[in-house]
Amino acid sequence: MPNKMSIMIVDDEKVVRESFLHWFEKIGHRVEAAASGSEALDKLAKAPFEVMFVDIKMPGMNGIELLENVKSEYPDTTVVIITAYGSIESSVKAMQMGAVDYLLKPFKPDQLTLVMEKIAQQKRLVQEYDYLKGRLEKITKFDNIIGQSDEMMEVFDLIVDIAQSETSVLLTGETGTGKELVAKAIHAKSPRAHHPFIAINCGAIPDSLLESELFGHQKGSFTSATHTRKGFLEVVAGGTLFLDEIGEISSKMQVDLLRVLEEKKLTRIGSNQLVDVDFRLISATRRDLEKKIEAGTFRRDFFYRINVIKINIPPLRKRKADIPLLIDHFLKKYSQETAKHVDRISRDAQARLMEYNWPGNVRELENAIERAVVLSKSRTLGTDDFMFLRAPLSQTLKERSLAAMEKAHIQRILSETNGNVTHAAAILGINRVTLHKKIKRFNLKRK
Amino acid sequence: MVLKLEKHMPSENGIIGVLPIGNVTGPAPKIIAAHIAGYFNLDARVLPPQDLPAKAMDRQRLQYDAGRLINIFEAHQWAESLKLVAVLDVDIFVPIFTHVFGEARQGGKVAVVSLFRLGDALPTARPSQASILERIAKVALHELGHLFNLQHCDNAQCLMHFSGGLEDLDLLSFNLCRYCRAYLKDALFFPTGESV
Repeated sequence: MPNKMSIMIVDDEKVVRESFLHWFEKIGHRVEAAASGSEALDKLAKAPFEVMFVDIKMPGMNGIELLENVKSEYPDTTVVIITAYGSIESSVKAMQMGAVDYLLKPFKPDQLTLVMEKIAQQKRLVQEYDYLKGRLEKITKFDNIIGQSDEMMEVFDLIVDIAQSETSVLLTGETGTGKELVAKAIHAKSPRAHHPFIAINCGAIPDSLLESELFGHQKGSFTSATHTRKGFLEVVAGGTLFLDEIGEISSKMQVDLLRVLEEKKLTRIGSNQLVDVDFRLISATRRDLEKKIEAGTFRRDFFYRINVIKINIPPLRKRKADIPLLIDHFLKKYSQETAKHVDRISRDAQARLMEYNWPGNVRELENAIERAVVLSKSRTLGTDDFMFLRAPLSQTLKERSLAAMEKAHIQRILSETNGNVTHAAAILGINRVTLHKKIKRFNLKRK
Repeated sequence: MVLKLEKHMPSENGIIGVLPIGNVTGPAPKIIAAHIAGYFNLDARVLPPQDLPAKAMDRQRLQYDAGRLINIFEAHQWAESLKLVAVLDVDIFVPIFTHVFGEARQGGKVAVVSLFRLGDALPTARPSQASILERIAKVALHELGHLFNLQHCDNAQCLMHFSGGLEDLDLLSFNLCRYCRAYLKDALFFPTGESV
């Protein structure tokens, strides 16, 4: 029996109960017995049972009545009817009411084994269905974030867990990993979903302009302020504000934002009037903010305020299992957008994409597929369509020397193997001692 | 692979008694004892035959109740014997089943095994005397396993795998899988289940 189950025997005959008990003990199932329908219901109220063997003819509550109760109160419990010769009609009725099978007493030992195997198989299928359904929901419910790797499943779980809360979230990850998509997913799953989602790239806007964009301004507060304007912190009213590249904002802006986050109030530029604001902040950065704190370019108090919950989005090279799924997604997307029937990729090309390091992450993969689809002359993308993915060659003569190439190559392999010298040496085809010497000679970092 | 336990059970812990009941004559009890010694490495002896307890007979089913037989034999004081395998040639049953080849309770003292249905012919062939003896030895070892708390095993190659019919029984191995072997070893050397 593949899985041990919890079983209850309900029969008014002691010898029958004992026979079942002895039998199921030999298999290792957790088994209990009840002498009547009411005793069975009492036991069910205290602990769940996966399977019940129920005799039809019992004094008091008969098996059919018990079945009716069980099916209405505990629908996950599987019921098998046991009956003596002459009560076949009741057995048929019981099957119609939801019993999975019936056994005519006395039965052959292998008949009971078959019934148990059938139940175990059904339970397995239900478990598999529940698991796949849950996984499918996870994959599809974030329709813009593609991933089924364990790393991304963890991210999806976190999104669901934190969406309902009001706490600030800091998204970290390399460029192109999809931080904004994660922010949008958190917003979409949150109670603020029906309010605006506003994304601002702090790194792309000069500090003076960013202040005006976020806080708004009063008419006449500066030369070009020809009319009063609400900032995004107000406009977002009830929604989610996503500040990308938060590591790029100035110390003054950090202080201003910190005050808004703590007081939930702001004053527009050129105004003294306090305005109430209501938003959830999601920030993102590809920088190491803790290093910036140490360097004195990022405020520690602001960091703690925005970093209540942190989600690190793994780079594509750390979740290569997602690459085929992403390829499929982008192939469909761009073959539709370009109206070209380029909807396949050769095995070799896919293998090449799997091998590639993707420093630009999902964004780079998307661009690569788009470029290949646009330029492809056949339905199937081949390795030739991705020739442009060769690692860029260094430009200066010095950097193109053999030693520089060797150094760069060893560093790349070390990064890919997370500094594992044994693994890196195996990939490079040299022994560990040689690799250690080269690491020392080139002054390389293990990670 | 043959079960290898380090040594025979110490004699002070008793022996496995093989008890012929009623009309059981011939080599079956000796064969069972030899298999217990050979495969479980335990001292096994054939005890003097006993009469078939009439009160274990079920008048409605005209079969012998295996549970009642076990209760009767367990109530008896068997000098020296650690566990007992009673060998019968009558049809035995447990109340929910039409029949059983053998019966034992988990961790119990007595197992009953019956030759009655082991001589039945399969659609393909009539069993030889040798194959009937092989069947009774397998049933006896399997039930003895239950007396040492071994449960039914998922591994179809294991002696403790459940066999519902004669065809399955014929396919059953005499050997325990490595897990059941380990459990048996624990049961023999740590009989109270203290620890391993």
